[in-house]
Amino acid sequence: MRFGTRRVVFLALLVAMGTALHVVEGMLSIPMPIPGVKLGLANIVTLLAIYLYGFRDGMTVALLRVLLGSLIGGMFLSPGFLLGLTGAVSSTLVMAFLLKRTNCFSMIGISMAGAVAHNIGQLLAASLLLQSSAVIYYLPVLLLTGIPTGILTGFLLNSLLEHDKTSGILHDFTRA
Amino acid sequence: MTRGDKFLLAGLLLISLLSIAALYGRFSFFPDRVGPVRAVVSVQGKVVRTIDLPAASRSSFVINGRLGPSTVEVEGARVHMHEAPCNGKICVNQGWISHPGQSIVCIPGEILVRIEGAAPLDAVTR
Repeated sequence: MRFGTRRVVFLALLVAMGTALHVVEGMLSIPMPIPGVKLGLANIVTLLAIYLYGFRDGMTVALLRVLLGSLIGGMFLSPGFLLGLTGAVSSTLVMAFLLKRTNCFSMIGISMAGAVAHNIGQLLAASLLLQSSAVIYYLPVLLLTGIPTGILTGFLLNSLLEHDKTSGILHDFTRA
Repeated sequence: MTRGDKFLLAGLLLISLLSIAALYGRFSFFPDRVGPVRAVVSVQGKVVRTIDLPAASRSSFVINGRLGPSTVEVEGARVHMHEAPCNGKICVNQGWISHPGQSIVCIPGEILVRIEGAAPLDAVTR
């Protein structure tokens, strides 16, 4: 794996975009009666990084984004940070698998699976952290909210890729 | 959306509905067991009477406290101090108690009525 200057710069750009989305999203409050439901906008950037550069760089972007986002938001090493980290890792694993190893899903399906994987990973981390299996009652809520948010972010990414076909805005990212 | 997306969507929806059914169905079919509940009456620290709750019928009995006889009344799952010889009548005015952990205390008569048993948890925090 070669770390060309161009790729480092574009990965850094993706990390910056992901961090910005992560932080802004933390400021938005969704009118939901339950805590922990987020749009997962930062997932767009992770999926884009996997799409452009592959699994390892996608994971790098996801990890750096969570790290920087938590430092900026003042949540570093808090329980919320640990949950976000586990969620980001599990969703990156699932999305990279679906994107690179299967070809029957569009970005919508992949992002949906990523959102659900994020929520499940988060839930497992929460049950380890609280040493209680009672959080499992949160599972249906998180599954059901993961589906529409996943579709939304997948739809955004789909339209970005659609736009790229005519404008070629992503060309610079992958040019050698 | 591709066919794969639709299958994934349907699968995820199915799993969420199944998990809702599994998790919330558990409560209706296997409610959390509540242990036996009883009212324990003690005078000057010694247990003088225990009553299993809920009682079959309304009944009252006389407890001989330090000041004289007091009347404790049981009705269904709840207990109260019906009559007491003390001045303040705080125990009488407290009214009915029914939840494990609640108690009626009569300081002048040195009578304690306490409901014992495992209560279902309100919440757990760590």
